[in-house]
Amino acid sequence: MSRLPPSSTERIDRSRPLGFRWCGRALEGFEGDTVASALWGAGVRTFGRSFEYHRPRGLHDLEGEGSSQLVSIDGVPNQSAGTTPLREGMDVGAQNVRGDPRFDVFGLLDRLDRFMPAGFYYRLFHRPAWAARFFQERMRGLAGLGVLRPDVPDRGERAERYLNADVAVVGGGPAGMSAALEAGRLGLRVCLFERRPWLGGHLDWRVRDSRPLAGEVSALADELERMESMRVFRHAPVTGIWGENLLTGFQYRGAGGPTDGWTGSGTAEAFDETHWECRARAVVVATGSIERPLVFEHNDRPGVMQVDTAIRLARTYGVRPGTAAAFSVGDDLGLEAAVDLASLGVDVRMVADARHEGHDEALVAALVEAGIDFRPGWAATRVRGRSRVRRVELADRTTTGAGSGATVGSAGGGAGDSLRVACDLLVASAGRQPDIGVLSCAGARFRHGQRTRTFELERLPPDVFAAGGVLRLTDVEALTTSGRTAGLEAAAACGADVAEALARERARLADLPGPARGSSIVRGPVAGRRLAPGRKAFLDFDEDGTWKNAAQSAAYAFDVPELAKRFGNFGLGPGQYRVPGQNLAMAMAEIAGRPIGSFAATTVRPPVIPPSLATLAGPNHDIHKRTPLHDDQASRGAVFRRAGPWLRARYFSADRQCLEEIRNVRENVGLLDSSPLGKFRIWGPDALRALQRVYISDMTRARPGRCTYSAMCNDTGNIIDDGVVVRTGEDEFYFTTSSNRAGTTVEWLRFHTRYDGWDYNLVNLTDALASINVAGPNARRVLEKITDAELSDEAFPYLGCREIEVGDGVAARCLRLGFVGELSYELHLRASHARYVWDLLWEAGAEYGIRPFGLEAQNCLRAEKGHVIIGTESEQRVTLLDIGMGWLWDREDTASGKVGAAALRYCEGQSGRLKLVGLRVDDPAGDAGAGTARDPTHRPEDGALVVDGDRIAGFVCTTRHSETLGWQYGLALVEDRLAERGRSLDLYESLGRRTVRWTATVVPPHFHDPKGQRLRIAPEGRPRRPGKAPSPPAPAAHRRSPVRFDAAPARTERRAGWNVVLDYESDRAPADVMRRASLVDLSHRARWDVQNRDIGTLRPFGLDVPGTPGKVAVRDGLMINRMNGTQASVWHVGPGAAPAMPDGPHYTDTTDSHCWLALLGDSVPEVLESVTGLDLFDPARARPFLTQGPVLHVPCQIVTWRGDAVLLAFSRGYGQTFVEALLESGRHAGLRPAGERVFTDWSHALKS
Amino acid sequence: MTFRLTCPVCGKRDVYEFTYGGPERGPRPAEADPASGSQAAGGSDPAAGSDPAAAAEAHFRWAQFRMNRPEPQEEWWHHGAGCGVWFSTWRDPATNREAPPGGAEAGGHEASGRDSS
Repeated sequence: MSRLPPSSTERIDRSRPLGFRWCGRALEGFEGDTVASALWGAGVRTFGRSFEYHRPRGLHDLEGEGSSQLVSIDGVPNQSAGTTPLREGMDVGAQNVRGDPRFDVFGLLDRLDRFMPAGFYYRLFHRPAWAARFFQERMRGLAGLGVLRPDVPDRGERAERYLNADVAVVGGGPAGMSAALEAGRLGLRVCLFERRPWLGGHLDWRVRDSRPLAGEVSALADELERMESMRVFRHAPVTGIWGENLLTGFQYRGAGGPTDGWTGSGTAEAFDETHWECRARAVVVATGSIERPLVFEHNDRPGVMQVDTAIRLARTYGVRPGTAAAFSVGDDLGLEAAVDLASLGVDVRMVADARHEGHDEALVAALVEAGIDFRPGWAATRVRGRSRVRRVELADRTTTGAGSGATVGSAGGGAGDSLRVACDLLVASAGRQPDIGVLSCAGARFRHGQRTRTFELERLPPDVFAAGGVLRLTDVEALTTSGRTAGLEAAAACGADVAEALARERARLADLPGPARGSSIVRGPVAGRRLAPGRKAFLDFDEDGTWKNAAQSAAYAFDVPELAKRFGNFGLGPGQYRVPGQNLAMAMAEIAGRPIGSFAATTVRPPVIPPSLATLAGPNHDIHKRTPLHDDQASRGAVFRRAGPWLRARYFSADRQCLEEIRNVRENVGLLDSSPLGKFRIWGPDALRALQRVYISDMTRARPGRCTYSAMCNDTGNIIDDGVVVRTGEDEFYFTTSSNRAGTTVEWLRFHTRYDGWDYNLVNLTDALASINVAGPNARRVLEKITDAELSDEAFPYLGCREIEVGDGVAARCLRLGFVGELSYELHLRASHARYVWDLLWEAGAEYGIRPFGLEAQNCLRAEKGHVIIGTESEQRVTLLDIGMGWLWDREDTASGKVGAAALRYCEGQSGRLKLVGLRVDDPAGDAGAGTARDPTHRPEDGALVVDGDRIAGFVCTTRHSETLGWQYGLALVEDRLAERGRSLDLYESLGRRTVRWTATVVPPHFHDPKGQRLRIAPEGRPRRPGKAPSPPAPAAHRRSPVRFDAAPARTERRAGWNVVLDYESDRAPADVMRRASLVDLSHRARWDVQNRDIGTLRPFGLDVPGTPGKVAVRDGLMINRMNGTQASVWHVGPGAAPAMPDGPHYTDTTDSHCWLALLGDSVPEVLESVTGLDLFDPARARPFLTQGPVLHVPCQIVTWRGDAVLLAFSRGYGQTFVEALLESGRHAGLRPAGERVFTDWSHALKS
Repeated sequence: MTFRLTCPVCGKRDVYEFTYGGPERGPRPAEADPASGSQAAGGSDPAAGSDPAAAAEAHFRWAQFRMNRPEPQEEWWHHGAGCGVWFSTWRDPATNREAPPGGAEAGGHEASGRDSS
C-alpha cells in the first residue's frame, strides 16, 4: 500500500478497510476511496487498454472524463473508476484486454498504427464488396471497450425526480455556493447540483502555505445546509441544459453515495441512480475549470497524470501518486501542486512551466526554497517506458528541435536545451480550460482570449449566468464575488429587486484579480528523430486520436475542427469534446499555420457526463388503461394485447383462429367487453351544428330512441372515424366513436368549430361507461332474463336505442347494433356497475353455454360481414368514397361546412384511386370449389401486396378463414381498374428472404348475410341446455372501484352500493400516518362535471364557482374546481352523504369517469416529485389550487390542498396501473396504501 | 429539443402536454354549392362560392399549403394533457420560443464578470 501519512484534507476513513477484487486479485482500499484511488493506492498502474491501439492506460483523471479509466464492476461494463465509490466485495475488471491488462495480446496493434491513419475505417475495406462484411465483423470484434454480458442481470434501482426551482446552480464550488446563497437569501427556491460527493470544488483539496483552502468556504457550505429554501444535490452531475432552462442529470445513490435530498434508504447497490430534471427560471453555471492535456509523445503512459489527479490522490485519498515526479505544467495551480506534493514527501525532481513569464512569484520562491529545479518556458517532449513511466524528456520551448540532452538522476541542473529526468510520475498539463460543457449545451458562445489563452465566454443564452472558474477566475475572493454577482443576476431574472446589491458586487469584482494568465501551448517541443512527430502524441485518449491523425485529417481537407472531429473521431468518446475540444481547435490552428484561436472550440453535446442507459430508461412503468372487466376476463383465460392506451382481450383460447369463439357468436351467444369504445355527451344550443360540422351525414336525422350511423372525415376527405349518434333531448345527443379516436374527439370537435363561437358542451364518458356487447342469435333470450324491458323486434328493432334497467335496477343504455353481423345488444352502463351486470349475464347465459369472445373473433366476424375498421380498411390515401361508404355523405349540405366535404366533392369520380374490394383467396392446389375444407392458417398475411404486372397496385387489409363460407376471404384496397368483380389478383408477401405468391379473386365485400336479415330478425339459436334451474332473483347491485390495493382490508362499510375500505390491516398508527405518505382511494366518492358558457351565473349545489381557472373553493363538504372558461368539477370531499345531482343539463355525474386518489403525509411532495414535473407546491400560489397536467404521463386534475395533502383524479381506466406505478415510485418516501379513514380523520382535523 | 408554451388557462407548460393544430390560416373557405352555384353561408370570399373550380382551389390552398417560414407565426395548440383548451399563440419555429408577431425574440446577453483583456 502506497499511502501517505494522514492529512486534514483526506476523505477516506483509514479505520474502515474495504476488500475488493481486481482482475481476480484480492486488494484493499478504504471507505471513502473511489475505485480508481483504491487501485492506484494498491499499486495497480495499468487500468485497461486503449480503444484502437490497445495501449496500456493508467489513471489520467479522476473525473470520469476519459475512457482510460472505465472498468467493469460486478460484471457491468463501462463504469467510471474515478467517480464510483469503492464498496466491500466489489469485483473490478479491466476492459478491452485479453488476459491481464499488463500483457494484452492485442498490444501489438500499437505497432500497426501506420496502417490505421485517420478515418481508415471510412476509406478502406470497401472493395471488393464481400470484404466489407468480412472486415466489419472482424473489426467489430476488436473495437469497443466493455463487454455487455447477457448473463448479468440489470443491477440497481432506477428512479426519476422532477424538480422545480427559481434558480438552479450547477457546481458547488466557492462560486456556485455563493450564487446559491445569494439567491436563497432572497427567499427564492434554489437547487444546487454538485457532481462530486461533497461541496467546495477545487478548494477541497488545495493547500497553500500549509493551509487547507477548504476552510475559506466551509462557512458557505454550513449556511447552505441550514437554508430552508435550498436543496443541495451532491454526486449529481448535470448532463445538459435544454430549451428554456431545463436541466437534466443524474445522481448516484449507491453505496458510499449521498442520501441528501432523498429520504430513501441508501441501499447497498452500487448501481442505484436517479435521473433528474430541473425546470428553473434562471440558471447559474459555475462548473469551474478542467485541465487541458499537454500533447507530447507517449503522453498516455500509465504514470502521466493531470495536476488535479496527482494532488487529489494525495490530498483527498492519501495515496502516493508516485515516488519521483517531474512536472510539466502551464499555470500557477500546477506550481502550487508541485510545492504541495514535495511537502508531502514526493521527490519532485523538476518543474517545467510552459509559460516564460507571469508566474506567481511566491510559488516560484517556494519551489526554489524546496530545492526543485524550476524551468520556465520548458515542457515535456516524450516519455520513456511502456507500461509505466521510467524517464521523461523535457526541452526548452524556444529552442525547438533535438538537443544533445543530459540525463539527470535526481533533481539537479543540466546543461543545454533538453533534459532527461528519471521518474515514475509525470504530472502534465497545458493549463486549465473553462469547463464549458454545460454552457455549450445551453447555447453559449465562446471566443479565444488573448490573456487566458483559452476559450472564453462571449455570449450567454437568456436567463443563464456564469460564475467562477468557468470565467477563468482563480482568486478565492474573486470566485465568491463573481458567484454572488451571478446569484443576484439570476434573482433579478426571477423578478427580484436587487439592482443596488448587484451594482455593489459588480464594483467589488472589478477591483479583484481578473482571469488568470494561461499558456497557449498544445504540444511539447518536438524532439527526437526516431519517431515521426506526433505519431504517439494523443489529443484524444478515448479514441486514440493522435496529433498525426489531426494532421492527416487536415491533409484530407477536413481542416477545421468540426470536420476533423468527425473524420478523425476526436472527442466522440466519454470525453464528449469537453476535454479534447479546445485542444483540437488549437491544434488544428497550429497545423494550418494559423494563429491559435482562429478556430472556435467544437460544440459539446449532451450528455456532458454520460449516465447509464438504464438510468435514462428509468423505472419504465407500464401504464395502460384496463376495462372494469379486466380481472374477470383474465381469470377466463383472456390473452390481452395493447390497443391504443387500452389493454384488451384478444383471444380466449390457444386457437389464434378463434374458430370456436366465432362459431359460438354465429350460432349461440357471446359476450364482448367493448368498453374502450368512445362515448360522449354533447348538449347546448349549437350542439347539432357542431355535429353537422364533423359528421359527414345529415345529423338532423338523429332521433330519440334510434342509432344513426355516420362517419367523420378530415379535411382531405379521409375517413377517420365512425360511430352512432342518438338524440337524447331537445339540444342533447349521445354519440360513440371508435376506440382509438376516443381520446381526440373532444379536441377534434373544438378545433373544427374554433372560429364559430358556438355554444355547446361536451363530456367524454368513455371511461365512465363500460360497454358490454351481447351478440348472437340467443342474445335476446339471455338479456331478457336480467331485464323487464321489452326486447321484441317490434318494440326494440334493429338500430334502436332504449334506456333500460338491468338486474337490481341498474340503469343502462341499450343499443341494438350489429357490427359482428348478428343480433346484438350493446349495454352502456356505469363502469362501477359493469362487473355486476357482466356477472349477471354470465349467470343468465349459463344455460345456453354463453362464452366470451375477444377482439380477434370480433375482427373475423365483422370482416365476414364486410364491416370496415377505420385504420385497417382505410389509410391516409383513402376517402370515404373509396371504401364504398359514400352513401353516408349528405352532399346537398354545403352550409354546415362539413369537414372533408369539399375534398370529397373534388375527388369524386377521379380515376386511379384505391377501392375497397372483397377477396376470395384461391386454393393453391387449384381446387377453388366451395366448401373445400382447407387449412385455416393457409392464407396471405394482412398487409400482403397486390401486384399488377411490375407494380404495386394495392394491399390486403384483412384476410381470414371463414368456417361459415368454407374458404379464405379478405378485404383489400386495390387500384380501381382492378376492382371489377371476378378479376384475379396477384398477392405477394415477404417472409424473411422468401417471397410467397398467392392469387385471389375479386368478390363483393359482403360475405356473410349480405342483406342483413339476421340483424333485423334473428334466426333461432342453439337450444338451451336441459336441466338448468331458473335463475334466482337478481342479487343487490354493487359498484366497484377501478383500484384494488394489495393489502388486506380490516374494516369495510357498505355505502350506496360501494364496498368502502375504512382500514387496512397494514394501516399505520394514527400518530404515524402523517409522517410518511398514505395513498387513499376515493373513487367511490361522487364527482360532477359542470359546464356552461356562463358558468359564473350558475350556483351548483348553492356554491359560487371560483372566478378564475385553477381556483378551488371548499364549502359544505364539497370542493369546486374551476377547470377552464366554461367548466368546473365538484368533488364530494365529505363528511356526510353526497347530495343529489341538481337538475339541469349543465351537470354530468362523472363519479365513474375518474379514479380519485388522496395523497396524505409529510413526504407527499417527495412522492409527487418522482412522478411529475408539474410545479404542484409553488409557494407563490394560494392553496388549495388546481393543476391540470400529466402525472406519470397520464393527464390528471390535481388539487394541492396543503403541503401534506394532495387530491388527484384521472381517467378511470388508468386506475390500477397508475396506482401500482405510484406506489412503486413512492416507496422510497414510505408511500403505502391506506383506508378511507385516514382521509376522513385528516379532513376532520382540518376543520377543528 | 424541448420548449414551453404559455397556455392561457394553465400558464407555462412543457410542449409535450400540447398537440399542434397548425399555423393560423383562418376559417374553412366556403364550399361551392354544386346545385345552385350560389354562395354558401359562412364564406368570406364572395368569388369562391360561385365557381366550383375556384372554391376547390381555395379549399386546396387552405387545407394543404403551409408557408414554413423561419419567423414568428401564429399557431394553434391544444392543451390536451391539461385544461383541454385550444388557443393560438405566436411562436418562432426557428428558435422554438414564443415570440411577438414580427418582433425579435428575447436574445441572450453578454457574459458578466471581469474583463479578461
